[in-house]
Amino acid sequence: MDMDIFLGKLVRLTAEEPKVLAEACTRWNRDSEYLRLLDATPTNQMSAKKITEWIEKDQEKDPPPFYLFGIRTLVGDRLVGFTDLEGVMFPSGDAFVGIGVGEREFWGKGYGTDAMLVVLRFAFQELNLRRVSLNTFEYNPRAIRSYEKAGFVHEGRARGFLHREGQRWDLIYMGILREEWLVRDTG
Amino acid sequence: MLKGKLVRLAAVDAKELADVIVKWNRDSEYQRLAMIEPANQYSVKKLAEWGEKDQEKDPPEFYYFAIRDLENDRLLGSCGLGGDIFPNGEAFVGIGIGNRQDWNKGYGTDAMKVLLRYAFEELNVRRVALSALENNARGIRSYEKAGFLYEGKSRGTIQRAGRRWDDVFMGILRDEWLAKEHEISSH
Repeated sequence: MDMDIFLGKLVRLTAEEPKVLAEACTRWNRDSEYLRLLDATPTNQMSAKKITEWIEKDQEKDPPPFYLFGIRTLVGDRLVGFTDLEGVMFPSGDAFVGIGVGEREFWGKGYGTDAMLVVLRFAFQELNLRRVSLNTFEYNPRAIRSYEKAGFVHEGRARGFLHREGQRWDLIYMGILREEWLVRDTG
Repeated sequence: MLKGKLVRLAAVDAKELADVIVKWNRDSEYQRLAMIEPANQYSVKKLAEWGEKDQEKDPPEFYYFAIRDLENDRLLGSCGLGGDIFPNGEAFVGIGIGNRQDWNKGYGTDAMKVLLRYAFEELNVRRVALSALENNARGIRSYEKAGFLYEGKSRGTIQRAGRRWDDVFMGILRDEWLAKEHEISSH
């Protein structure tokens, strides 16, 4: 039990003041590529006020409808992204994970994968979940590779789910079961 | 357009529908086939509130219909379309036939065909998606008959009756639906 479950090799998962995270989100959201890699909803610009309200509304509840963390670098304590877990945790033990690294200079360097490994440990060791799911888009190979590295398995695809840049793109379904994660974690 | 061979899709009267859903929900099998949430008993008041809330917005978040028997106008079930209809042209279907004695008689498949026509011809969506639990073999067969193709599954999404069950993902593209319609009309 003598370990910090929020601590990874490159990052730690942290509580963030709603206003701090909201201001970081508005900064990241200026980059439409970040938003298109992150989300299926139309890329849009939200005020820090609006994002703060959303975060506060959800985090007021106990237990919260989702578990939300900031991703901070171990070196320099820089807020580079966020991750969250939501879904039918009770009674079926399934959760849906969302993750975004907003600072471009931290893309492709293992920060997202490291944060995902930490959030998976939280999901399986603290929330005692049975599986974790996620969706991504076929035009996001960097994310797909990262999720594969974290242990996610391909489960299917919704053909032509998204329409962007005059073309339809598949939504990729991935998931990891508790047993699969245990084998990986214990070697 | 809203009329099939056995059923028609009609406006939802929230109170009327709530009165019958309470009866359908007494059968836990109906709830377990229709939903991944735990089977539960809700009052007419609560169900009517939910039904009304959905329909208050314009355009509604959810295109929701009552399924009525053509022969005697009996309320058999409900169905609807939600999801990323704008701007991605992707709709997600929900459908349920409430009474056991109305199962396996083609009402659901007929209602689905009408709903697909509404989705592709009126809402101009590019694909329609659904998910079904693996224990719902009757539902999956019906969706295949209506033209849906298997696209993947979330392995062991729910835990029920001492084991885990997959959630099966299916979808139909506009082109596939058009080809099927053409095939029918040319015979």
